[in-house]
Amino acid sequence: MRSYGAMAGRYLKQQRKRSILTIVGIILSVALISALGTMGQALKDNLLMNTKYEDGSFYFGYEKPTPELYETLKKHVLVDQLGVLRVGEKTTPLKNNITVQVSSADEDGYKLLPVHLYEGRLPSSADELVVEQWLLEQLPGSPKLNGSVQLNNPDGQPHNYQIVGVLNNQKGSQIKYFSQAFTFTDAPNVTITSKAQLFLTLKPGVDINKQIEAFTKLSENKMFTNHQLLALMGESADNGLNQVLAIIFGTLVGLVVLSTVAVIYNAFHIAVLERIRQFGLLRTLGASPAQIRNLVFREATVLSAIGVPLGLLVGWFGLWFSLWLMAKSGLKIMMMETFELTFHWWIIGGSFVIGFIAVYLAAWLPARKASRVSPVEAAKGAGSIVRESYRRIRIPSLLNLIGIEGQMASKNIRRNRTKFRITTFSIVISIMLFIVFHYFTQQALNMTTTTNEDDRIAFMLRSSYSEDIAKPQQGIDFISDDVMDQIAELPGVYGVYGNYYGLGAMVQVPEEVVNGHFEKKTGILFEPMQSDGNNNKIIYSDIRLYDDAKLHEASKYLKSGNINSEELADNGVLLIQTVKPMTVDGKKEIMPLTRYSVGDKLTLDMGDGENVEQIQEVTVTGILTQSPFDSPYQENTLIIITSKPTYAKLFEALPQNESTNTYGTARIGLEVALKDGADPEPIRLKLQEVARNHPDSQFIDYAASQKENRNFNIQMQIFVYSFLVIIGVIGSLNIINTVQTNLLLRRREIGLLQAVGMTMGQIRRMASAEGVWFGVIGSFWGILLGVGFSYVLYQQLSNVQGFPFEFPWGASLIACGAALFIGLFSVQGPLRRMEKANLLEELREEA
Amino acid sequence: MDVINVDGLNKFYGKGTTQVSALRDVSFAIKQGEFVAVVGASGSGKSTLLHMLGGLDKPSDGYVHIDGENLYALKEKDRAVFRRRKIGFIFQSYNLIPVLNVEENIQLPMLLDHRQPDKAYISDLIHTLGLHDRRKHLPSELSGGQQQRVAIGRALAYRPAIVLADEPTGNLDSANGREVIELLKLAVNQYHQTVIVITHDMNVAAEADRVLKLQDGKLISDTSSHGRGV
Repeated sequence: MRSYGAMAGRYLKQQRKRSILTIVGIILSVALISALGTMGQALKDNLLMNTKYEDGSFYFGYEKPTPELYETLKKHVLVDQLGVLRVGEKTTPLKNNITVQVSSADEDGYKLLPVHLYEGRLPSSADELVVEQWLLEQLPGSPKLNGSVQLNNPDGQPHNYQIVGVLNNQKGSQIKYFSQAFTFTDAPNVTITSKAQLFLTLKPGVDINKQIEAFTKLSENKMFTNHQLLALMGESADNGLNQVLAIIFGTLVGLVVLSTVAVIYNAFHIAVLERIRQFGLLRTLGASPAQIRNLVFREATVLSAIGVPLGLLVGWFGLWFSLWLMAKSGLKIMMMETFELTFHWWIIGGSFVIGFIAVYLAAWLPARKASRVSPVEAAKGAGSIVRESYRRIRIPSLLNLIGIEGQMASKNIRRNRTKFRITTFSIVISIMLFIVFHYFTQQALNMTTTTNEDDRIAFMLRSSYSEDIAKPQQGIDFISDDVMDQIAELPGVYGVYGNYYGLGAMVQVPEEVVNGHFEKKTGILFEPMQSDGNNNKIIYSDIRLYDDAKLHEASKYLKSGNINSEELADNGVLLIQTVKPMTVDGKKEIMPLTRYSVGDKLTLDMGDGENVEQIQEVTVTGILTQSPFDSPYQENTLIIITSKPTYAKLFEALPQNESTNTYGTARIGLEVALKDGADPEPIRLKLQEVARNHPDSQFIDYAASQKENRNFNIQMQIFVYSFLVIIGVIGSLNIINTVQTNLLLRRREIGLLQAVGMTMGQIRRMASAEGVWFGVIGSFWGILLGVGFSYVLYQQLSNVQGFPFEFPWGASLIACGAALFIGLFSVQGPLRRMEKANLLEELREEA
Repeated sequence: MDVINVDGLNKFYGKGTTQVSALRDVSFAIKQGEFVAVVGASGSGKSTLLHMLGGLDKPSDGYVHIDGENLYALKEKDRAVFRRRKIGFIFQSYNLIPVLNVEENIQLPMLLDHRQPDKAYISDLIHTLGLHDRRKHLPSELSGGQQQRVAIGRALAYRPAIVLADEPTGNLDSANGREVIELLKLAVNQYHQTVIVITHDMNVAAEADRVLKLQDGKLISDTSSHGRGV
C-alpha cells in the first residue's frame, strides 16, 4: 500500500455487496438520465420530422414576392435555401367533376415543401409532371407512370407533360375532388408573379428568432412562418412558448437529477454511517478531516468510474430492449424500418457529466459527516458502531395494531430521523417521478397526436355525389352485407365500417346540466327556452348511426355506462359531451359541454321546435371520452351515437321535407381499417374491383398517408410507454435497493433480537410491516408531491393548449400499489438470507 | 524532563443541573520514559483523562502540554498531525482497520503523513511483536492477542513520544495480557517512550513505575510502584 488513499479501494472491494448496490444505484440513475435524453431527443426528432413531412421544412416565406425581393434573398448571406412555388392560374377540369391545378416549383422549392413521392422521381424540367396516385386514372387517357398528359400549365396554357413521378394520395384532395400536380421551373426569377410564393431556410447556427424581424421588413407583403417547425426548433417567435418548453423540460430534468442525487446520496450515506467508527479511529490515528473527506471522495470516484459508463450502456440498451420488446408484443410496429434510436454525443457526454456531478454532490454531505466524526466516539469503543440520534415517538403508529412485531417495526422505522428521511425520500422520489412523468407523457401525447379509429382507415368507398348518378334509394344499402363480410375477411383488414347519413337535432338541455364554465370561457351563449316550466338551453347535436363494427370500436372510448345493443335499440344512445372550442383568449381548450350522466334522458327536437311529434326522448346508456371516428372533438356540439332501430325512430320524426330523406338508415359508404404492418395491395385490388361493380361509387385511397400518420402516432405511443416502463423499473429498483439496504444494515441487531428469543416468523412479520409501511408513507408524500408537480406542469402546458386539470388517479394508484408490493417483496430476499445465516456470525459481524 | 504537563484540567458534560464533572482540577507531570498506570473505578474519569492527553476531546478548562506544546492551542488540523506524529493509541477493542492487513495497519500513521515507512524498522517491529508470519493477514484472521499486538505495533510505528493505552489487556486472557504488558515495557526500555496505561487490572498497575488513582474525576493519589508518594 503506497498511500492511505488505497483504503478506499480496499473498503469497496471488501464490502463487495454494498459497493455493487451503490454502483447499481449509479447505473440506474445514469441510465435514466441518458435514456431520458435519448427519448427526449428522439421525440423531438420525430416531431420535427413529422412536422417537416406535414408542413414542409422551410422556416418562413413570402406571399406575392417581387423579383427584387427574390434577388435580395438570393444574395442574402444568412439565407441557406430559397425555393419558389408558383400556384397555377387555371385549373383543368377532368371527368367526374374532378379538377387539377398544375403548380411549379424550383429545386429548392421541392426540398422545402411537403411534396412526397410514392414512386418515380421529381420533375426536372418544365415538361415533366408529378401527380397524385389516385389522379392517374382520372386523367385523360388514364396514363401510367412515364406516360404523358395534356393539362393547363401554371400560366393557364395547355401543355403536354410527361408524368415522371407519382405522389402519395391525400385524403383531402380525394374528398374535395381537387388535386395539385407539380412541374418544374428552371428560371425561378422569371416565374415570380403575384401568384408565387417564396420559401426559405437560414444557414445553420443563425438565430432565427432574432433575424425574423429584419426579414419581415424586406417585403411589404405579409410574411408567413412555419410556426410548428420553429416552435419545435425552439425558435418560435412566440417567446412564451419557448419559455414554457424550457420550464417543462427544466422541471423534468431537475426531478431526474434530484432523484439521481437522492439515490446515490442514500447509498453513500449508509456506507459512511456503517463505518463511522472506522473514520473516528482514523481520526485518533491522526488523520485530518480533509484526509477523511478525501477517502470518501476517492470511493465516489471509483464507484462513478465504474457506474457511469455502465449506466450509459444500460440506458442505451435498456431503451433499445424495451422498444424491441414493445415491438414484439402487442404494438407490432411496421415502422421498425424507419424506427431508429439516434445516437447523440451531447446526450452521452451530458449524462456522463451529470452522473459524475451527481455522485460528487451526493457524496459531499456524507463526506462532510465522516470528516466530522468525533474521535472520542471511536475511542469509546466496542458499543454501537453507528451512533444514532433516537427520538421519542409521541404519535402512536397504526403498526402498533399488529402486536409486538408492529410495535418493533414502528420503532425501527421512526427511531432515527435521518435514516427514516433518506429511506422515505428515495421512495417518495420514485413515486413522484412516476406520477409526474405519467402525467406529462399522457398530456404530451394528447397534445401532439389526436388519435382515434380514423388513424387506421386507409380506404374509403362511397356513393358518388355527382349529379348524373342516381342516389341510393331509401333503405337500400349501397354495398351489401356480403361484400362487407368479404372485405372484412381479407388478410390485413382490421375492420370494415359502414357509413351512414348523419342527422342533426336540437337538444333541450336543462340549464343546470349545461357547463357554465363553457359559456364563460368561450363567450358562446346558448339560446334559452322554456318547456314544461323548465328552463332549458338549446344545444345542437349530431346524431350518428353506428353499425356493430363501429360500436365495437366505440367501447374503447367508454367513460361510463356500457354499450349494449339491446339498450341502444330501445331508445338508448351513447353521448360525447367533451368538446374542444376556441376560448375567448384564443386557445383551444378541452372541456365538457354538458354534465349528463348515464341514465339521463335527452330531449331531442328533430324539427324546428313547432311540432310536438318531432320531439323525441332518448336515454343515455353510455358516455364516451371522444368520438371514435371522424374528428375526436366538436367545438360546441354534442355527438349522439346510436344503432339502427333508435336511429330509424329518430329519422321517422324528421320533418317530411328534409332532403336527406332518401338515405334513411341505408349504408352510403364504407371505410376499411388496416392492421399495423398489413400489406394494403390485395385490399386495394379487392376494393377497386368492388368499385368497378358499383359504377355510382368513388374509391378513395389514402393508404400511404394513413401509414405515415399511424406510424407517427404509434411511435409517439411507444415513446411514451417506454418512458413510463423505464421510469417504473428504475423507481422500483430504487425502492428495492433502499429498503433492502435499510434491512441489511441491521443484520447484527436482528441477530440480537433472535438471540433474545424473537422467532424468524416474528422477524419476518416485523420486517414485512416495515417494508409495507415505508411504501405507505412513501406513497402518501409521493402522491402529494407528484400531483403538485403535475399541477405545475399542467399550468405550463395549459399555456400552450387549454384542458382541464385531472387528478392523476390512474398513475397514483399504480405507483401506490407498486410501492406497497415492492416494499413487501423487497424485504423477503434479505430475510431469507438471514434465516440461513449463522446467528453467532451475525452477532459477531462488524458492520 | 517532563514530556507531559497537565495543569488544572477540568471536563464537564451537560449544562445546569444535569452537568456532570468528569475531571476536576487534575494536575500532574510525567517524565520521558516513564511507565504510568491510571487506575480507578468505572466512571472515575480515567478514559476522559486519556482522551484529553491524546488530544481527542477538548477540556472545559486547564492545559495539556506535550513535548512543550500546548495541545489545545493547536488548530484541529494541526492537532491531528501532532497526534499522528507524537501520540500512539492502543484500545481495548483493538480498533484495527478491517480492510488492511497486519503490515498495512502498522504503517497507517506514516501513510497518513504521506511518508514512506522505514522498512527495516517496521520489519524489526513486526518481528519483535511476533507477527512475522502473520504480516499479510487481515485482522479478522487473527486471534485477540495477535490483534492487540498489531495495535501496539501501530502505536509504536511512528516512534511517538507517548503511547496511550486504554485497557489494553481488558479483552485478553492472562497469558496474552502479560505479553502485551511486556511489549509496552519494551517500548519504555528499548525505545525510551512514555507509556500511559489505563487499567482495572492491579497486576498491570503493579508493573508500572507510577500509579495515578482517580476517584470521581479527582486525582486522589499519585504513587510510584516503590511505594513513594509524589
